[in-house]
Amino acid sequence: MARLRLKRKKLRRKKTLKDIYEERLFEILRQFQLPLLMLHTVMSVGTIGYMILSDGDFINSLYMTIITVGTIGYGEVVRGSDTLIGRIFTTFLALGGIGVFTTSVTILIRVFFAEDFVGVFRAWKMLNDIEKLRNHYILCGFNRTTLELIKLLKKRKINYVVIDSRKEIERQLKESRVEYYILEEPYKRMILEAAGIKRAKGLVVNLGDDARNIAVIVTARLLRPDKENFFIFSFASNPETAQKLEELGANRAIVPQKLLATRLAAYIFHTGSAYISDLFDKIAFGEESEIDILELQVAEDSPLIGKKLKEIDLRKQLGVTVIAIRKSDGSLNLTITGDTEIELGDTLILFGHPKRLRVAQKILTERARELVGGRDEA
Amino acid sequence: MRLKKILTHFFILMALTTNISFITSPNGWELVITIIMNLFATILKMGEGRILSNELMASSLVADLHLIPAGFIYYLGNEGEAVGLAMGALAANIISIILGIIETILATFTEEEE
Repeated sequence: MARLRLKRKKLRRKKTLKDIYEERLFEILRQFQLPLLMLHTVMSVGTIGYMILSDGDFINSLYMTIITVGTIGYGEVVRGSDTLIGRIFTTFLALGGIGVFTTSVTILIRVFFAEDFVGVFRAWKMLNDIEKLRNHYILCGFNRTTLELIKLLKKRKINYVVIDSRKEIERQLKESRVEYYILEEPYKRMILEAAGIKRAKGLVVNLGDDARNIAVIVTARLLRPDKENFFIFSFASNPETAQKLEELGANRAIVPQKLLATRLAAYIFHTGSAYISDLFDKIAFGEESEIDILELQVAEDSPLIGKKLKEIDLRKQLGVTVIAIRKSDGSLNLTITGDTEIELGDTLILFGHPKRLRVAQKILTERARELVGGRDEA
Repeated sequence: MRLKKILTHFFILMALTTNISFITSPNGWELVITIIMNLFATILKMGEGRILSNELMASSLVADLHLIPAGFIYYLGNEGEAVGLAMGALAANIISIILGIIETILATFTEEEE
């Protein structure tokens, strides 16, 4: 007995948002019980009554009950229903049955629509789909900025989940074709877990209020403490708050006004070379999907260390160009040539097509020896 | 005393016993009563978010989906097919009873813990 109790305690798990939605679904279903019971009782009494009168004619008895209770009344189709007893039975069945039928149907329709059965079911299904997401981004707060961000994420085929507490934005989310969203308070641990924070790559906090942003950042950082593997980007109302948010766990806190001003200033300062500054701007802000920049830190045991750039010839072998090297002391070497040697602690700044950059990253981190060896043999 | 639980178990048992009765000596009345009892049991299980309620509901629905066609087939003259379907419903009803017993035991432990 005691062992069983212990096992049950172990089996008991923490309630998730999906469990809550499931409970809501059950609650709605439970409300169907009374009208269905009423309807079923009337139908059973009617069918058995006509079966007694007709000496066991089930199909016609069921049909007669339905046309009586449903106020269709095609006539007395069952043997024995045109007798005196039959008519007395039909009278009472119609008197009681019609009321029960209309009441039951009304309650069923009201419960179905008033309790938003379809909406709760859809939300439950969405949570099921979110469980399958990996390396996605969680966007807390939905507004125009989020919408623009979503467009860019879609372009890069990055999955995302929007969390917002305002139920009234659901139509807007649907119109914007947001695939996954949760309409609950984002600072709750359960909600962030339902959005798949344990499997997500990052979180964007944009709730329009510093206090609420802090609440989300702190909760998220408690769930994913590793700053290197889980990125939190937040909006802040001023630079001081931005600093506090970064101290509290955000990888980067952005002050929108400052960011806009910086970008505008960049346009002003580079009016003479508008095309190239615009291109770099687009690359930096992820708007250009054909070109990208990648930072690749050379590992301690990498065979690339000690090799000259012309020896590994990344342009020829992988289709990417090394445009600069960031040294271990933080300085940037922009004047690289084929004779530039890769040193320990270097970070290569690679430039190229996003697809080629992804391939290059994989090869340079996992199979760099092959690359160097292949070149040597050649 | 929980009236709803008594009613649910009453209808499950009634459905099972009349189901067995119909299989052993096929009779239209017994089949109709089995269908009615089974439908009552299904409605009473609807929306019960307890430990094994989903399984109970599913097994009850399976029995319904066997018994309702069996009712029509029997009165259309194919007794053998109706008995076959009722046997399928019997299997679902037996599972329902077993699940009901397990659920009662588990619920007792939960209540004791609380």
